[in-house]
Amino acid sequence: MSSSSSGIRYGMVIDVDKCTGCGACSVACMSENNIGVLPDETDKVRSITWLRVYQIDNHKPYPDTQIAFFPRPCQHCAGALGHHTPCVSVCPATATDRDEETGIVSQIPTRCIGCRYCVAACPYHARYFNWFDVPWPDGLDRPLSPFVAPRMRGVVEKCTFCFHRYQRAKNKAFVDGSTVAEKDYQTACTEACPSGAITFGDLNNPEHKVHELKKSPYAFRLLERLHTNTAVYYMSTREWVRRQADNYLSHEKLAKVQAGGGH
Amino acid sequence: MNWDRRAFVKFAVGAVVGLQASPLVPKLMDDVAIWTQNWSWVPDPETGSVAFAKSINPDTLTGVKTRLVKARLSGKRVIRVEGDPEHPLSQGGVIAADASVPQKAYYNAMRADAPMMRKEGVRGRVPAAEALKKVAEKLGELAKAGKASQVAIIADDPYSVTGEMLMRLAAAYGTPNLVFMPSAKQTLALAGQLLFGQNNIGFDLLNSSYTISFGTPLLEGFGAPVATRKAFAAWRKDPMNRATLVQVEPRSSVTASQADLWLACKPGTEGVMAFAIANLIIQSGQADSAVASAAGFDQFKAMLAGMYGLDKASQDTGVSAAKIKAVAEGFMKAPKAVAVCGPGNSGDPGRLFDFMAVLALNAVKGNLGKPGGVVLRENLPWKALGEPMAMPKTPSLDGSDDRIMGLDNAYDLAVAALSGKPYPLEALIVVGCNPAFSGPQAKVMQKLIDQIPFVVSVSEYLDETALMADVVLPAASFLECWGDCATPYGASQAFYGVHQPLIGIFPQAKSQGDWVLALAKELGGKAAAALPFADTKAALAARTAAMGGLDALAKKGYWMQAKPAYGFAFKTASGRLELTPQGLGGKLPVPAACIAPSKERPLLMAGIPSLRTGAGQQPLSPYQIKILDNVTLAHKDQLVAEINPKTAHDLHLGEGDVVEIASAAGKIKVGLHLYHGAAPGMVFVPVGLGHTAFGMYLKDKGANFFEAVEVAADPGSGLPQWALTPVSIAKAGGVSHV
Repeated sequence: MSSSSSGIRYGMVIDVDKCTGCGACSVACMSENNIGVLPDETDKVRSITWLRVYQIDNHKPYPDTQIAFFPRPCQHCAGALGHHTPCVSVCPATATDRDEETGIVSQIPTRCIGCRYCVAACPYHARYFNWFDVPWPDGLDRPLSPFVAPRMRGVVEKCTFCFHRYQRAKNKAFVDGSTVAEKDYQTACTEACPSGAITFGDLNNPEHKVHELKKSPYAFRLLERLHTNTAVYYMSTREWVRRQADNYLSHEKLAKVQAGGGH
Repeated sequence: MNWDRRAFVKFAVGAVVGLQASPLVPKLMDDVAIWTQNWSWVPDPETGSVAFAKSINPDTLTGVKTRLVKARLSGKRVIRVEGDPEHPLSQGGVIAADASVPQKAYYNAMRADAPMMRKEGVRGRVPAAEALKKVAEKLGELAKAGKASQVAIIADDPYSVTGEMLMRLAAAYGTPNLVFMPSAKQTLALAGQLLFGQNNIGFDLLNSSYTISFGTPLLEGFGAPVATRKAFAAWRKDPMNRATLVQVEPRSSVTASQADLWLACKPGTEGVMAFAIANLIIQSGQADSAVASAAGFDQFKAMLAGMYGLDKASQDTGVSAAKIKAVAEGFMKAPKAVAVCGPGNSGDPGRLFDFMAVLALNAVKGNLGKPGGVVLRENLPWKALGEPMAMPKTPSLDGSDDRIMGLDNAYDLAVAALSGKPYPLEALIVVGCNPAFSGPQAKVMQKLIDQIPFVVSVSEYLDETALMADVVLPAASFLECWGDCATPYGASQAFYGVHQPLIGIFPQAKSQGDWVLALAKELGGKAAAALPFADTKAALAARTAAMGGLDALAKKGYWMQAKPAYGFAFKTASGRLELTPQGLGGKLPVPAACIAPSKERPLLMAGIPSLRTGAGQQPLSPYQIKILDNVTLAHKDQLVAEINPKTAHDLHLGEGDVVEIASAAGKIKVGLHLYHGAAPGMVFVPVGLGHTAFGMYLKDKGANFFEAVEVAADPGSGLPQWALTPVSIAKAGGVSHV
């Protein structure tokens, strides 16, 4: 596990066995981050969903079929050696950066020149390009949050782990003369999930719940064999779910990949 | 220095190196990026002071915290609706419908923002006084002509303050035709009344260690969805020591997939499965002693042994005998086990037979009044809005006078009114619901609304019903007005929630209750005397007088029974459990004739339960449309239905084929998605899409499930049933790749 200079690495553990794919996290994220809605949202190439909930199934015939859901925010990769985040390494405009203090991969839309290298580099489809200006007609701009700037066409955007909430928590901690506690900084999706399937905190801090959860024998990460060293862990007791988290061939045995190793 | 070739190259290289070293290039790129993004049409939400206010969403019964921003120029606005972790019912967390409340509240294209009236066929905004006068005049004329009973009222929730006001208004005005949208609460109350003499029962899900859900979407909208999910989270807290969940239903739904065991039964046989399990428990001699002393036990036992024996049940349900036996054993052995029934997959109120079978199974298990079992709830300590009022003597159109507990049926009302027998309708008032879309059989309701000469819609949205109405009275959202909501379906504790105005959005929108009161006042006479309240707040104050007063209640936001009450008492006429209820003439409940596919309509259509789409009662917000996957809505406006690959193969259909699903009631066009989890011989359709109102994000997206639904009355309860509809499928041309 790589860590940032401060030793903090924010991350998530998502319990797939608790997720029912209701989409509350996704809508909470949209409302927190002023994500726009296009007149046609069935075109998923153009549709922007920072936290998309994917549905998978076990490919078994009736009546052994099962489905499961993978909520997928930005995975906030650290890269193999802790400093090779796929998108950050290709951005020519320094519009995206991995924060050494928190391990959060940022996105600064106003710096983005819209080249979309990062979109191509991201193995998780977590980055979205604004192909259009988003309309906010007929009063839909009224509930926009003043804490996250709406984006215009031509720039890339993605999940920031609600970084503005971290900034707010940090300001508050500074004023109070304390440090940012686990409860002070939680993402919108974590708070929204009615099953408590998402747990958020500092992966390196033993006092935070995620520290223990990520060590579960049922914990895994998406496409772990790419050594992207993500900050988002998933948990499931079902082996078929864990197998689909990476491109296992049918004869391959499910193995826990040690994160942080070289290519 | 000579300006020769060498000098030029030196200069060029120097310039390039210099530029690289200077901050000029990145700085200019940064500036260009910023300059090119300062466009006037990108909104710049004004910041201001932030405050939180608690409330409750009466549609989902989720306790919420609203985040309000008070800005200098743009005033106060709600920017978010979040879960309230301190709320005792939902304990934090939301569903998509809660989180998208601000969008629906502010979106002009969806909301009814001012009173409207149709003049010479054209709808236009009018002052509230004019609209009310028109309605009162019309109702006054009808009453004068002795046609008061020819006015019908269709409303959403009988337990809300508006529901009670409408009951008083209908009685005072003189119409027996007040119907509420059908709900599983009615079926459960009826089943409990028949078997136990108790109609206020719930399921103690949180404390259960073994739960069998019979055909109800436990994780996709059961009861208060967030509260139910808290129970589920508790079951899954420790991966090594999980509570068991068994789901009985034909489709691999979310609940079935998250369950530890899925019993994939044939459609409509959930009740049979409950009786089969009860039979196995009785046969093993482990039935509870209260059951052995129940009225009609011998008859019950013989019936179970004869009709629901393991082999026969296995054949009838299509589930292997070994699986049924394993579940029966697990259920019996578990110290805290509960069998749960509830609304069907498309929000239908469930079959009485199934509910009675499930409650009887709980009785056989002996979990009545025990932790983790079926519990009795306290009655809400609310007070009536006035003295009880005599109901008009004219028989009601829906035939509810002849039914046990007088359960009403909006569909039967529509059919009778359309046929004009025994009498037609002259006016219709729709309050807080959208029957033109959600039916239950949309085409029939549309025909009814179209045929009735005078239609009034009291609605938050300019929905399909409001668009057809002669007068639209704009209702306020729960963020804008006083209102209440009562115990959700199946909850183990009695609950009462109050919401109050937090923000003004549309000045002319009032609470539904305020419109009812204003109308009563305008009508004068008995109606005004029956509802002597200045506004909904005053009515709520009277209703909640025994709950510590409205002010204290509003501050807290809710009243809730402290903890589930354990202990059980039978209040039947015999004072015992009645397995052959007197309410059914001392007979055993019999299953409804199974809706059988015919040669003409060889498939059965059912709804897909989902918290993303809801059950069609409330419109979706733009954000909710955004989270629909392409197995629900694809290619801009194509609704996607699920079918088993084998069934599709037999019908020569493939993935992405565009087909027409036709029932006796209507047809819809959908794209097909081959899904192994769909039961063979069935087609599963998402519910809640296919609106013809609500603006560009929702209008014309998909097709309306309720337009293909064929409603039948449940032989036990008389409530409308639409869980299964026989349909045919034919290619409609075109292929869309899902």
